[in-house]
Amino acid sequence: MEGCKAFIIGGSAGSLDVLLKVLPVLDAALRFPIVIVIHRKHGTDSLLPDLLSTRTKLKVKEVDEKEELKAGFIYIAPSDYHLLIEQDGTFSLDYSEKVNYSRPAIDVTFQTAAEVYRDKLVCLLLSGSNSDGVNGLKSVKEWGGLAAIQDPATAQVAYMPAQAQLKVAIDRVLKIQQIGEFINLLSNS
Amino acid sequence: MGKAKKVFVFDDNADILDLCTIILEDAGYEIKTSSTSNHIIDQVTAYTPDIIFMDNWLPDVGGIDATRELKQHETLKNIPVIYFSANNDVESLAKQAGADDYLSKPFDIHELEQIILRHLSK
Repeated sequence: MEGCKAFIIGGSAGSLDVLLKVLPVLDAALRFPIVIVIHRKHGTDSLLPDLLSTRTKLKVKEVDEKEELKAGFIYIAPSDYHLLIEQDGTFSLDYSEKVNYSRPAIDVTFQTAAEVYRDKLVCLLLSGSNSDGVNGLKSVKEWGGLAAIQDPATAQVAYMPAQAQLKVAIDRVLKIQQIGEFINLLSNS
Repeated sequence: MGKAKKVFVFDDNADILDLCTIILEDAGYEIKTSSTSNHIIDQVTAYTPDIIFMDNWLPDVGGIDATRELKQHETLKNIPVIYFSANNDVESLAKQAGADDYLSKPFDIHELEQIILRHLSK
């Protein structure tokens, strides 16, 4: 894909370990923003962005309402809000009902980003124990984007990426050690 | 190199326990976690930590009662207990129960590390 405009990562149980391995590999000059939506309970705000920022040269921050997405940043979805991406390239936070028993729901971010970035979007679904993100990946494909999953064989909890593989025509199945390099290559193409 | 200091974290939020484990291991501490304060004396006696973090909302025995139990124990009472909660109304209750300090949730890595250093250097 040429000119990727956003890379969004969704994950649940078992995804933190993957992020801790992938972030150190990322180029400091990525040409697009990375957005991370992982299921977590309230009370971990600050700790998660703090921890991830110790593993990367990119700037890590928790998303603020109406904030504009910028290249070179890794944005973390706050706990307890859905994270939407708007047509004007800003985030919005939404406290509506849980989706797939989850808030933030990965589906919500994937689906809203799919409509905004269309064929310039890549979404990656990591380890997890429910099927959140699967419908989101379907939307990504429908709008022309690229759908990727962590290889279920390398996932601590394979259910989430395995469900995506069953139900969506996945473009890339990535082992943990391939994810960082894949993101760097996208930035250089 | 001295022996790594031992931190025991009690919280029913698995995400907090995961994050604290990685952060404190990064910082050179040995860490044990538990999601229940049931049999608190047995748990703490078995690990002999240098410092304890105690969440307010714990199943079985709540954080306040668990703290009181520790602080009334002959040999464990001198281990610093840092109480943490998102509900700041409980700070004075925690201190009355004997907690040595209070950390308001959400907290960041710097606050976590500073509070440990402050109490372990006493």
